[in-house]
Amino acid sequence: MTPSARRSGRRVRLASPTLTATQIRWLGAMLVAVQLPQAPHLPLWIAAFGLLLVGLRLALLRRDRLRPDAPSARIPSWTLVIFAVIAALAVRASYGYLLGRDPSVAFLFILVAIKFLETRTVRDGSLLVALASFLLVTPFFRSQSPFAALAVLPALVVLGATLDALARSPAASLARSPAAALRRTARMIVHGIPIALVLFVLFPRIGSPLWGLPAEAGAQSGLGDTMAPGSISELSLSDNVAFRVDFDGAIPPPAQRYWRGPVLSRFDGREWSMLPRPGTGTLTRWGPSGLSYVVTLEPHGKPWLFALDLPASLPRPSGEESGEPADDYAFITRDQQLIARTAVSQVLRYTQRSVLRASYPAFDPDEGRDYLRLPARANPRTLDLGRELRAQHDDDGALVGAALDWFRAAPFVYTLTPPLLDRDPVDAFLFDTRRGFCEHYAGAFAALMRAAGVPARVVTGYQGGEINPRGLYLIVRQSDAHAWTEVLIDGMWRRVDPTATVAPSRIEMGLSRAVADGEPVPLFARLEGGWLKSAQLTLDAMNHAWRRNLVGFNRDRQRDLWRELSIDRYAGWQIAAVAGALGLAWAGILLALTGAARAKREREQALWLEACTRLAHAGLPRLPHEGPIAYAARASRRWPQFAIAFAAIAESYAALRYGPPPARAGEREALVATLARAVDVLPAPARLRSAAA
Amino acid sequence: MTAATHVPAVGAWARTRQRFFRHSPADGERVVLRHSRIYILPSRRGWAMIGTLAIMLLTSLNYALSLGFAVTFLLTGLVAAALLHAFRNLAGIEIRPLAASETFAGGRIAFTLSVSGGERTREGIEIRAAGAEPVAADIPGGTPVILKVERPAPRRGRLALGRVTLSSTQPLGLWHAWSYVHFPLSGAVYPEPEPGAPPLPRGAHGQDMTAPGQGEESEFAGLREYHPGDSPARVAWKAVARGAGWYTKEFDGAGGGGPLTLEWTALAATLDVETRLSRLTAWVLAAERAARPFALRIPGGMLPVANDRNHRRAALTMLAMFPAELRA
Repeated sequence: MTPSARRSGRRVRLASPTLTATQIRWLGAMLVAVQLPQAPHLPLWIAAFGLLLVGLRLALLRRDRLRPDAPSARIPSWTLVIFAVIAALAVRASYGYLLGRDPSVAFLFILVAIKFLETRTVRDGSLLVALASFLLVTPFFRSQSPFAALAVLPALVVLGATLDALARSPAASLARSPAAALRRTARMIVHGIPIALVLFVLFPRIGSPLWGLPAEAGAQSGLGDTMAPGSISELSLSDNVAFRVDFDGAIPPPAQRYWRGPVLSRFDGREWSMLPRPGTGTLTRWGPSGLSYVVTLEPHGKPWLFALDLPASLPRPSGEESGEPADDYAFITRDQQLIARTAVSQVLRYTQRSVLRASYPAFDPDEGRDYLRLPARANPRTLDLGRELRAQHDDDGALVGAALDWFRAAPFVYTLTPPLLDRDPVDAFLFDTRRGFCEHYAGAFAALMRAAGVPARVVTGYQGGEINPRGLYLIVRQSDAHAWTEVLIDGMWRRVDPTATVAPSRIEMGLSRAVADGEPVPLFARLEGGWLKSAQLTLDAMNHAWRRNLVGFNRDRQRDLWRELSIDRYAGWQIAAVAGALGLAWAGILLALTGAARAKREREQALWLEACTRLAHAGLPRLPHEGPIAYAARASRRWPQFAIAFAAIAESYAALRYGPPPARAGEREALVATLARAVDVLPAPARLRSAAA
Repeated sequence: MTAATHVPAVGAWARTRQRFFRHSPADGERVVLRHSRIYILPSRRGWAMIGTLAIMLLTSLNYALSLGFAVTFLLTGLVAAALLHAFRNLAGIEIRPLAASETFAGGRIAFTLSVSGGERTREGIEIRAAGAEPVAADIPGGTPVILKVERPAPRRGRLALGRVTLSSTQPLGLWHAWSYVHFPLSGAVYPEPEPGAPPLPRGAHGQDMTAPGQGEESEFAGLREYHPGDSPARVAWKAVARGAGWYTKEFDGAGGGGPLTLEWTALAATLDVETRLSRLTAWVLAAERAARPFALRIPGGMLPVANDRNHRRAALTMLAMFPAELRA
C-alpha cells in the first residue's frame, strides 16, 4: 500500500463539526426552557443574569446574520473563566456559602449560560444538553407542585428537539420546521411513556438518603425546638400547609383539634426549649378506642410528627394496616411527644390513632420536680404574683382557676403584632404591654404556674385546621400554629390553654376571627365563603391528591402499591426480569403499531417502487419533484413503444395513492391488478437500455 | 485431530463471522436490511445522556424527588423510543449495487449504490467504505437515491468496493445503528499512463506509418450520438455549445493512419514490468486519440487490430490485470 493510501485509509479523528445557526438557536431555546422553571427559586439577579447571557448569545447570532460580512463576534475563552469566577463569588456572597445544594444549582444555572456564550462545536452542544437535562430535576428541590411539573414538560420537549437538531448534518439532511421537530419529539416522548411508567412503579426507592442532606433541609418552615416571644406569630404569617389529615370517621370539632408537637420543658427566663435528650416513654393505655386517621406531613426538616392530643399509638407508615407498629419508625417521649427516627425530609404519610383527652397520667409520679425550675433572677414580678397566688390557694386546681381568672380580668389583647419585649419579657407582658400572641400567653402562664409551685410545661403544635369539603379532609396550615400549657395536678397532666381564656374565638373559629380587623392575617386564613375560598379549596383538594399519590410516592407508598399489585412476593431479579419482558413487549407493540400504516399500502407502493427502480436502472431515475404522471410522460418520450404501460402504471398508482376513496367495492383491487399487470409488462432494465440505444 | 473433523468447525466459525461481520462479498443483487443485520449501540452523545440520566436518578433518589424520578424516567423513555426509531430508520432499507467506474492508477473509483427506503423517509443515512470519504444523505420516501462512494485507487488491478457500512444516528443522535453489506462490486484500475511517453512506434506489418499527432486528420465522416467514454477530443463541442446535444465526430477509414501493433517484446529489455505497462497504456491512449486501430500483444494475451471503445477498454483491462507474478 502506498503512503497516500495509508494516509487516506487511516481513520482520522476529526474535530467536532461547527454548529449551524439553527442548532445554536435550538440550544438557546432549550436553555431558556430549562432555566424558566428554575428561575423563580433563585435570587432575582441570578435568574436575570443567566437568562440575559443566553439572550446575549442569541443577539450576537442575529447580528451575524444581519451583517454577514462583518467578522462574527467571538467571545474569547479566557473572559468566560473570569465570568465564571465572578459568578461563583457572587453566588457565594448571595448564599453565604458555595458548597451546598442551592448555591450549586444557582452556579450551574449561570454556568450553562456562560458555556453557551462560547459554544461552537457540536460536542459543546452535547455537553450543554447533558447539563440542561440535569437542570430539569433541580426545580423540584424547591417545589414539587403541579405547576413545577407542568413547567418542566415543555423544557423536556424542547430538549429532545434540540438533540434532534444536533443530530442532523446541515449538508445531508432535509430541512424540517421547528414545529415539526417539536411534534416529532413529543411523539417519541409519548412512545416512551410506558417505559417511564414501568420504571416509576418498579424502580426501588430508598428510605434514607445516600449521602447527608445539606443544611437546606432544615430551612423549611415549621415549628422549632424552642419558643420565644414572636416565634409562633412569625409562623402564623405563612399560608404554607403543615399537613393534611384524612379521617376514618367524623372529623372532631375545632375546639378538640389540638395537634401535639414539640413539648418545651426548659425555661431560661425568655425562651422555652425542648429537653436535649427526651427519654423514651410509654403510650398511655386507653384500650382499643380512639380516633384513627392518616396524616400527610409536609417535609419540615425536623424529626417531630404531629398527632391529635393525646396519641394512643405509634405512627405506622401508611398502608401497613396490620401488625404491630414498627418501633424503628418513631418513638414517643416521656412527655408524650412523637419523634421520628430521621428528620422528615420528604412527604410522609402515617396512620395514627388518638384519644381526645385533655388530661392523662404522668409517666412518673415524681417527675413534677423537673417542671418547677425557673431562673431565680429573671421576671421578679411574675415570681411575686406566683407566690401571692400560692398564699391564697392551697389547692392546685383552684390556683390554676384563679390564675386564669386573673388573665380574664386584666385587659389582655390577642394580637399578631405585639410590642417588642426586652428584659424580663414575662414581666413586661403580664404587667405592662398585655398584648400578645399564643406563645406569649402559654409561656407566661407556664412561668407563672412554676412560680406558684405547680409543675407546668409548654406544648407547641397546631390548633384547628380547615375542613376541605371537596375531599373531606383537614388542611392544617402554618398559620394554625399554636402553643398551650400543661400543668401537673394530682399526678395527672392537664391541658390548660390560656389563649382560649383571653380569645375563645381563636380556638373555636380560627385565627382570623380572634384578632382585630387590619391585622396581617394570611390570605387563606382570612377568606370566608365566596368563590375565591371555594376555588382555593378545590385547588387544595387537587393538590392534596397530587401530593398523596405522586409527590408522596416514596418507599412506603411504593411497597403499598406493590402489595396491592401482588408484586411484593417476588424477588428483585424476578421483578427486573418482568420489567425487561415488559420492555420487549413495548418494543414489539410499538414497532407493530408504527409499521401498521405501512403494511396497508405495501402492495401498490412496492409495485410503484419496482417500476421506478427498473426505470432508474435503465438510466431514467425519477426526479425528486416529479409526480407519477410527469415521470411516466418523460419515460414515454424516451421509450415510446412502452407508453401505454407507463401511462397505466402512473394513472392507477396516482388513483390509488392520491385519488378519492373508491366508490365501489373491488374498485381498489381492480386498480391494484392493473398496476401489477402494467409493471409486469415493463421490460427488464437491460432490455430498456438496449431499446434506447 | 484429523482434517475431516477440523473443517466443519472452521466452516461454522467462518459462517458465524460472515453472519456477523460480512467479511466476504456474498451479498447478491439486492439486500434488504432486517433485524439480523442491524446493530445498535449508544453513540458518544448517547453515552453522555445515559451518564446524565444516572446522575439525575441518583439525585432523585437522594433527595426523594418523586417528580425528579418522573422527569428522569420520561427522558429515559425518550432515549428508549429513540432506540426503536433508530432501528426503524434502518429496517427495510433496500440497497442495490449499481456500477463501478474505472480509472487509472492514482485516481479514484466511484461505486454507485441505489438506496431506497420504501415509503418512509430515511434520515441521515451514511455510507462508509474503507478508504472512502463517508457519504451521507436523507433518503426520501418513494424514491431510490443513488449514492456514490469514491475509493482511491493507488495500484493497477481490480479494486473491490469491499464491505460497506451503512449507518445512521437518527433520530436524536443518541444511538448509532449500522449494518454491513458486502457486494461483489469492483472496478478496473488501469496502469498509470507513463508521463512523457515516447511517440507511438511505427506500424507493424512493414507498412509505412505516420507518427502520432503529426498525421493528417482523416476525412470527417459525420456525427453519431455521444456515448460515455468517447474521447473528449472527438466530441462535437460546437454542437454542445449550441445546445444541440452531445455528439461524437466520426472519421472515415480506420483513423489517422494505418493499424499499429503495440508489443511488449518490442520495448527495451531494460524496462521493468510496471514501466512497460505504463508505456503501453500511454500508447493505447495515444492511438485512441489519433483514432488509429491497434493490436496489443503482451505475455499471456493479445488483442487483434480494432479501434472502437470496447477495444480500448479491453486493452486497458488487459494491461490492468497483467499477472502480478510476472512483475518481478
